Amino acid sequence: MSFHPKMEYAPARFHKSARTLPDPGGDFTYTAENQAKFDANVQRYPPDQRKSAILYALYLAQRQQGFLTRAAMAHVAGQIRCTTADVEDVVSYYTMFYTKPVGTYVLNVCRTLSCALLGAERVTEAISEKLGIKVGETDASGMFTLIEVECLGACDRAPVVMVNDDWEERLAPEQVGEFIDHVRAKGRAAFTGCHLHKEK
Amino acid sequence: MAYEPVLTKHCAARDGYTLDFYVKNQRGYEGLRKALALQPNDIIEQVKASGLRGRGGAGFPTGMKWQFVLKDTPKPKYICCNADESEPGTFKDHVLMERNPHLLIEGCAISCYAIGAKVAYIYIRGEFYHVQEVLEAEIEKAYKAGFLGRNILGSGFDCDVFVHRGAGAYEAGEETALIESLEGKRAQPRIKPPFPAVAGLYQCPTAVNNVETLCNVPLIVLNGPEWFASLGPEKNGGPKLFCISGHVKRPGVYETSMHTTLRELVFGEQFAGGMIDERPFKAIIPGGSSVPLLLEQDLDTPASFDHIQKAGSLLGSAGLIVMNDSVCAVWLAMNLLHFYRHESCGKCTPCREGTDWLFKLLLRLESGDGQPKDLDLLFGVSTNIVGKTLCAFGDAAATPVLSTMKLFRGEYEAHVREGRCTLPAPWRAAHPVVAAHQ
Amino acid sequence: METVTLTIDGTQITVPKGRTVLQAAIEAGISVPYYCYHPGISIDGSCRVCIVKIEKMGKLQTSCSTVCTDGMVVHTREADVVEARAGVFEFLLLNHPLDCPVCDKGGECPLQDFSYTFGPAESRMDFPRRVFDGEGVKADVDFGPTLMLNRNRCILCTRCVRFMKEVDGDAQIGIVDRGAGSEIATFEERGVHSLISGNLMDVCPVGAILTKDYRFKTRPWDNPGVVDTICTLCSKGCNTSAWLKAKPEWARGSQLIRMTPRFNADVNNYWMCDIGRFTYHWAEGDTRLRKPMLRPSTSPGQAPLEPAAWRDVEPKLRDRIQDAGSQDPASVRFLVSAHASTEELYVLKQLVEGLLGNDGARAVTVTWTRSDKRQPEGTKFKVPGTDAPNVNGAKDLGFEVGPGNEGMPDLTRLRTDVEAGRVKAVYVLDPGPDGSIGDVSWLVAARRSGTLPLLVVQGVLMTELAAAADIVLPGTAWVEKDGIFTNDQGRVQASSRAIAPPGEAREDWQILVSVARSLGLTMPYETSNDVRRALATSKPGTGYAEADHLLFTRPVPARNWLQASNPSERWKWDFLFQDLPPVKGHSVQMEGVPAQETSIPLKPVG
Repeated sequence: MSFHPKMEYAPARFHKSARTLPDPGGDFTYTAENQAKFDANVQRYPPDQRKSAILYALYLAQRQQGFLTRAAMAHVAGQIRCTTADVEDVVSYYTMFYTKPVGTYVLNVCRTLSCALLGAERVTEAISEKLGIKVGETDASGMFTLIEVECLGACDRAPVVMVNDDWEERLAPEQVGEFIDHVRAKGRAAFTGCHLHKEK
Repeated sequence: MAYEPVLTKHCAARDGYTLDFYVKNQRGYEGLRKALALQPNDIIEQVKASGLRGRGGAGFPTGMKWQFVLKDTPKPKYICCNADESEPGTFKDHVLMERNPHLLIEGCAISCYAIGAKVAYIYIRGEFYHVQEVLEAEIEKAYKAGFLGRNILGSGFDCDVFVHRGAGAYEAGEETALIESLEGKRAQPRIKPPFPAVAGLYQCPTAVNNVETLCNVPLIVLNGPEWFASLGPEKNGGPKLFCISGHVKRPGVYETSMHTTLRELVFGEQFAGGMIDERPFKAIIPGGSSVPLLLEQDLDTPASFDHIQKAGSLLGSAGLIVMNDSVCAVWLAMNLLHFYRHESCGKCTPCREGTDWLFKLLLRLESGDGQPKDLDLLFGVSTNIVGKTLCAFGDAAATPVLSTMKLFRGEYEAHVREGRCTLPAPWRAAHPVVAAHQ
Repeated sequence: METVTLTIDGTQITVPKGRTVLQAAIEAGISVPYYCYHPGISIDGSCRVCIVKIEKMGKLQTSCSTVCTDGMVVHTREADVVEARAGVFEFLLLNHPLDCPVCDKGGECPLQDFSYTFGPAESRMDFPRRVFDGEGVKADVDFGPTLMLNRNRCILCTRCVRFMKEVDGDAQIGIVDRGAGSEIATFEERGVHSLISGNLMDVCPVGAILTKDYRFKTRPWDNPGVVDTICTLCSKGCNTSAWLKAKPEWARGSQLIRMTPRFNADVNNYWMCDIGRFTYHWAEGDTRLRKPMLRPSTSPGQAPLEPAAWRDVEPKLRDRIQDAGSQDPASVRFLVSAHASTEELYVLKQLVEGLLGNDGARAVTVTWTRSDKRQPEGTKFKVPGTDAPNVNGAKDLGFEVGPGNEGMPDLTRLRTDVEAGRVKAVYVLDPGPDGSIGDVSWLVAARRSGTLPLLVVQGVLMTELAAAADIVLPGTAWVEKDGIFTNDQGRVQASSRAIAPPGEAREDWQILVSVARSLGLTMPYETSNDVRRALATSKPGTGYAEADHLLFTRPVPARNWLQASNPSERWKWDFLFQDLPPVKGHSVQMEGVPAQETSIPLKPVG
C-alpha cells in the first residue's frame, strides 16, 4: 500500500534482494496459555516499556512453532506494539532465534578456546560424520541440527554441547557416536545435564 | 594462611541452593535485615570502605559506582545484575547462581536499598536456562518468605527482582549494551557520557553490577568492610572466584584470596593440580580471552587486579585459561578472533570491519597462505582498532593478536616461512574448515 | 545566552553552551569529517570518523558527542589523530565497492570527499569484498516506490534507521544480522513506504539509498546551477533548491533535474516531502502551454483552439471581456487558484477594484484542493492538507478564503451563479499543476453547454479546463518567476526564477497588467519588484512591508562544486566552503596552475 501521488518519473522496478527471507509462515497467534504468560511477563516492566518483553515474546513464539516465521514476527510486533522491522532487527541480532526450521534436537557445540583446547573441533567433526551433515544443516531424519556456538560458560567441563535448553558436558570426540545413539533412543533423558544438577 | 571459602562454601551440598539451607547455614538474609536498619548511604560507605571492585572484568570500585547514581531525581532507579557471563574462560557466575542463588538475591535487595532502587533485573544469558529455572524458583520462595516484594521485613522498603533472559549475544555483557538489550533493542552499546549512573535503563539512574560483585554485598554488610579488605592484598580485598580451564588436571571454580599466585592456582594440589599429561606449560590467559597472555616467568604474580596489571595483563573476569606446548599461538589468535568476529555488534566501524579482517588474515595465515606483509598488517589493523571503538570490545578483540604476536612472533614467522601450521595438535580438527563460519 | 570558549587547533572559538565539539569546529570553519552525525537526527557516535584529541581526556574522543566545555583544548590535525582517522577510513572503505563510476552519489559524496582529504592513500585489503546480493548486476534492489537500495555501498552509519524512527515516527528500516554481516533492511523487503521517503537519499552519506527519480540522470558537475527557491505544492512552503542540468545544444531533455530541501529552522528543518520532491516534471512536460490559444468561433465545441500571437489575442480578449461585462460588470468573475503568487493576486486585486470598485474582491473566488496526507502519528514532519502555497496570501490581500488553510474553499456562490446563467465570463488563473484548481468539471460543462458564454484560462498546462476555454494565455510555473507566497505560518517566502518560461509564456503578473491596461486601468508596474513595492507600501508594519527588498537568488554556478553539491551537507557548506579552493586533485582550474594538456587536441569548428 503506497500513498504516493502519481509519480511522473520513470516507473523503474528493481529486482528484489537475494537475501533469503524468513519463511512467511501461516497465520500465527499465541495459544491461550502463551498469551497469559506474555501478559504476565509484560507486568515486570514499566507500562510504557513493552518493548522490554520482546525477547520473552519471541521465545514463546519460537517454542510454540519451533522457529520464527514472518507471521510470528508480525504477531509479536502486534503484542509489543512496535514495528515489524524492529522485531526482525532483534530476531536477526540474537543467535538463539531460528528463522528456519530446525531439528528436534539442536546440537550447539561450543568451539571457543577452552572447549577447543579439549577437542571441541573434533566433536563437531565427529557429529558431522555421524549424521552426515555439515555445520548449520539438519540431518535427513529431521532429528538433529548441528550448530557451532561460542563460549557457553562451562569451560571446566569442556567440551560442552548445548542441546536445545539442556546441556551435555565433557563430551569427548570418541563418545559422540554413542551419545547420538543414546539421544535417538532416550531423548532428553540421555543428557548428563549441567554437572551441578547432580553430585560431583 | 588457609583460606575459608564464603561464597562457595556450600556449593557442593545437595540442597545448598534452597532457602532453608541458606537461612540456616549461611545467616541467610541477616545481611538484608541489618542493612534495612541502616541508612542507604551507610551501605554505600561500607561498600566503598571495603574496596570491593567489580568482578565482571573492569575492576571498577563498586562503592564509587553506586555513589555516582543520581539521587536527586524523581525518576526511578534500577539495579541491573549482569549475569550475561559470556567471556571465554569464565563460568563463576554460573556456579553462584545455580548453587547459591539466595546470596545473589539478597545482594540485589541490599544494593537496591543502597541506591534507592525498587527493581533489580537479573539479565541472564539465554544459554543458562537451567540456571534460570533454579534462580526463578528461589526468587519466588524469597517472595513468599517476605524477603522480596512489599514492605520487606516490615521496613517499608519495596523491592522486586526479575529475571530477564538474553538470547545469545556476548556484547550484551557490556553495561550500556545490556541496558539496550533490556529495553528490547539490539545489544549495542551507547555513547558514554551519559553514564548509566545518570541515564541508564529507560534513561533512569542505573547501576550495572556483576553477579559475583553483588554476591559480596551481603557478606560486607554482615562481616564489615575491614573483614572484606583484609582477605586480600591492599585495594584487592575480598574473596575471589577463579575459573581455571584448559590443559589442567582439575579445571573448575576455586575460591581463594587474591594473595594466591597464578602458579599456586595452576599447579597447587588444592587447586587445578598441574598440567594434564605432565606436558610443559606454555602460556596462560589470566582473565578471560580479552586480556593479554602471560608466560611461565609471570606465574609467581599474585592473582589480584593490581599485581596482574603490573605484570602486563589484567585480572578481568578471572577466567584462567591454561595452555600447554601443543597450542599454536596463531591458532589461538584465530580461534579467539572467530569468537570476536561472531560477537561483534557491528555498530562502530573499526570493530565491525576490523574483527572480520583480522580473522580473515589469521585464517589465511593459519592455513598456510600467509605472506610476510600479513604480519605487519595484523599489527597495523590491531592498532587501528585499539582505542578507537565505541566500547572495550574492540580493544579486547585486538588483544589476542597483539599479545600472541608480541610473545610468539617466531611462530607467526614460521607459518609464513613454512607455509603451514607448525604446531598441529591432536585435539584440533582433522580437516580444518577453511570457509567462513555460518 | 551562555557561551563557552574552547580552543580547536590553536584557534579560540566561542559557542553557545551545549554545542558539541564537532558543531563548534564546523562553525569555525575547521573541517572535521563525520558520517553518522546529522544535525536533524540523534547523535550516534558509531562511525568513529570524527575522532579528535582532547587534552585531559585519555582516548581519542568522538567530537560529535562531546559537549564543549570552557577551556577545552582540541587537536584535529596532530599526527596521531590523522593516523587514527585514516585508519577508520581504511575500515570504512574496506568492503566498499568501487562503484563511483556508476553510483549516483559520485561527485557529491561525503565518503569520496572526506576519504580523499582524510583517508589513507591506498587500502591494504586484498580479500574479496563483501557482497550482499550475489554477483553481477543484482546490486540495486527495490526499496519502496521511490527508492532503491545498494547494500554493498552501505557504511552502516544508521542515519536512515534513525531518520525513519525519529523524524518519520515509523521505524520501517532496521538492521539485520550483526557484526561484519550487518545490513539495513525493511521487513520482508517490502521497502520504505513513507510520504517523506525522499529525505533518505539526502541523509545517506553514500550511494546506498538513492531515489529512482534521479537514477543515472546526471552528475553534479553537469549541473551548472542550483537555485534557492520554495516548494509550492502545499501550504507548508518548504525551502528547496532547484537543480538545473546543463543543456548543450546536442543534448535534449528537461532542465530541472531534481528538487532538494534547504535548511530552514522555522519551516521545514532539513526535510521536504515526496510530493514536492518528485512532482516537478509537469513544469517542463509536453502539455505545457507555450503560445496563446484562441478559438475562432464563439459557439461552444465548434472549432478547435488555435495558437495565436499575443498581439492578436490581446485585443480580442479585451473586446470579449468588455462585451461580457457591458451590462453588468459583476457578471465577469474570476476563479483564482491559490497557487497564484502574491504579486499576481495583488495585480488582480487592482484589476477587479478598478473594474468594480472597492467591493471588487467579491468577484474573485479563490480555490485550492486538500488531500489526506497519511503519516505516522509520531511524525515530526507534518505535511499539511492544503495543496496550495498561497491561501494566506489571498487572505491577507482581502480575498474571501473561508476557513483558509484549515479547510476547503467554498465555490457554491460562483457555481450557482454560473449554472444559473448569471455569469457572462469567467477568467481563470491556474498557474499550478493539473488538478490543483480542484473539480471544475461543472465549469467545463457550463461552457460546453453555452450557459457560460466566455471562458478565459490563464494557466500553464493544457488541462481539461484550458481545452474548453475560448482564450488560453500561457503563464509561468513557480520555477520561472520571482514570486512571493505566504505559508500557513504566515511567513512570506519567495520562489526564484530558475529557468526561462517555455515558448512565448509570460509571467502571470505581466499578463494581468496587460489585460488591465487594455481595459483602461492604470498599472504602473514595469517589473515584478514594482508590484512588490506597491504591495509593501500598501501594507506597512506587516510581513509584506519589506517585500520589495527581498533577495531572489539566481542559479549558483558550480565552479566549485562543493558549494552546490551535497544537499544534506548544504547547511555546512554554507558555513564552510564559500571561498576555499577546490578539493585536492580535481581538475577545476586553479589560479596560478598552468592549464593541463587535453588528451585529444580540439580543432576549431570550421
